[in-house]
Amino acid sequence: MKSIKKGNAVSKGIGIGRAYIYKQYIPNIEEEIVDASLVESELEKYINTKEQARIEITKIQSFLEEKNDEKSKIFGAHLEILSDVAVIEEVNNLITDMHYSHRYAIKNVYDMFIDMLSQVDDLLIKERVADLKDVRNRLLRISDGVPELNLSLLDQPSIVIAQDLYPSDTATLDRKNVQAIITEVGGMTSHTAIIAKSYEIPAILGVEHLLEEVKQNEWMIVDAIKGNIIINPDTETIEAYKNKQKEYLFKQEIIKKYIDVKPLTKNGTKIEVSLNIGSASQEELDNEPYVDGVGLFRSEFLYMENTQMPTEDEQYVVYKKALEKFKQKPVILRTLDIGGDKELSYLEMPKEDNPFLGNRAIRLCFDHLEMFKTQLRAALRASVFGNLWLMFPMVGSMDDIYKLKSILEEVKTELNEKKIEFNPNFKFGIMIEIPSIIMVADHAAQEVDFASIGTNDLCQYLTAVDRMNPMVAKYYQSYAPSMFRVIKMAVEAFDKAGKPISVCGESGGDLIAAPILIGLGMRKLSMNKSSVAGIKRMITTHTIKELEDIATHALNLKTEAEVVAYVQSELHSEE
Amino acid sequence: MYKKTVQIKNQSGLHARPGSDFVALATKFKSTIKINKVDQPNRVANAKSIIFVLSLGIKKDTVIDISAEGEDEVEAVNQLVALIENGFGEL
Repeated sequence: MKSIKKGNAVSKGIGIGRAYIYKQYIPNIEEEIVDASLVESELEKYINTKEQARIEITKIQSFLEEKNDEKSKIFGAHLEILSDVAVIEEVNNLITDMHYSHRYAIKNVYDMFIDMLSQVDDLLIKERVADLKDVRNRLLRISDGVPELNLSLLDQPSIVIAQDLYPSDTATLDRKNVQAIITEVGGMTSHTAIIAKSYEIPAILGVEHLLEEVKQNEWMIVDAIKGNIIINPDTETIEAYKNKQKEYLFKQEIIKKYIDVKPLTKNGTKIEVSLNIGSASQEELDNEPYVDGVGLFRSEFLYMENTQMPTEDEQYVVYKKALEKFKQKPVILRTLDIGGDKELSYLEMPKEDNPFLGNRAIRLCFDHLEMFKTQLRAALRASVFGNLWLMFPMVGSMDDIYKLKSILEEVKTELNEKKIEFNPNFKFGIMIEIPSIIMVADHAAQEVDFASIGTNDLCQYLTAVDRMNPMVAKYYQSYAPSMFRVIKMAVEAFDKAGKPISVCGESGGDLIAAPILIGLGMRKLSMNKSSVAGIKRMITTHTIKELEDIATHALNLKTEAEVVAYVQSELHSEE
Repeated sequence: MYKKTVQIKNQSGLHARPGSDFVALATKFKSTIKINKVDQPNRVANAKSIIFVLSLGIKKDTVIDISAEGEDEVEAVNQLVALIENGFGEL
């Protein structure tokens, strides 16, 4: 058993099968100058080769069209290249004027155009280079008298291993038996990556010297989730990966089925499903259609990715991007939450004996007021582009709330004086993670517009467990009835005041905790992207009454283990 | 010779299908047809060659010259300009 960790996992999944080493025709054309008397026959050979290529390409094209496969367009493009007037003219010129053999002329002209398109500063056009290479290789192969080879017939589950794959290799790919693809070259935007993703075939590309490491027909596992290739795995490993594969495919199926649905319970109660984001990357923002907003924008990523304090403008640009993308959907921006386990290289933070109980989040911001106000100015300026909900972490008392309000007033006054525009209707909210604020949640709810529960820290502070300390990990019980009882107090206080409350910690996307949370009255959950489909599935397959019953029962159980066992049996019994 | 200047309006520029449509239309005329970006007057491409057209990397908002020489030069330029102005049906 040997394991290789190289390359880019461009299409996620797990493949298990035997190595199928796919060696395409590789043209090897030497300089070939012919006698003047042979020019006519070389011109004719070019015409015949082209015609043969046209027949082959048309065959693949109609095969794909019959299956309504979008990829037939690729072969339409191949036909265009094949009959491109400039290409034909150049090839004919090289044969006629330079007495090149048709093969040598084809190679020269195609290579020239490949070079030309490779230099265009445009990804879409660079992708066409694969098409040009493909047509070139087809022509050279035909003129070499080598028959066409493709991946349309494999007789067992296979891992396709190649130097690189071209559109022609993959178009008629036997999807049933291709478990995974690994190539030596190719990146995220290569042809192989696009095909693998669209066929949902696990793929790892750019694995150098791969062909030297693998033998034909060897058993292999391709873990394109972790980016790991295992050659000659033992039976145990194969069995373990078969289970992982099953789990992954099951999850994918749920995603496909539920990612798009509206999160309404069976009786029609709307539960908002929101997203947790970090850096507002394109990938994160692309999830906008599937969620009701951003329930937690962890702004500290902006600070942690940098080697110096991000400026007001740098922050403004990122906040604006997220707000613009989500338009009227709320974006809950959490102000800087560092200290505890997170540090900034450029900010001196004295060492503390108990950092989680120390100078973190707003406490630290109160001590670095200019840094804090810079962030608030950036956020308020961006508020004109969307629906900003500004949330402050680690609020422990009414004093904290009053202090935050007065700082916010100062920032607003400053912006008004400078005539800088912001939306005065942005929402002001707190994160509930210190138990003490729950004990005065009725007062807090009067002073703020909303709250969101950070269950990770709430659990840490409620159970007095440092969540970074493995020695006490078993005491960190986020499903304990005590957790749900304090959450219930917060929900009731905010409901009574008519103010929204949500959950944005791990529990919000957790299939054991979330049913109870909704049953307790929570109507908004925020989570990582990977949890969205599963949570929507749970919501749409239950009525509020069912979830309320689950919650009521869970609150009266005595231990965490009882809660977990109970919720699991309740959810499974319905399947 | 007949020549016109036009700005690309469609989102994807002269790529993929719009590029093919453009070349297909150009090919219908007898005249020699050339295009270039106005800011790169020396890089002139044969409008009947998809590869040359792609190699110019013409994106949305790029301004290009289309020129033709031959018996149907006016018709050729006008029809190609119209195709671009209609945004290849992408607008």
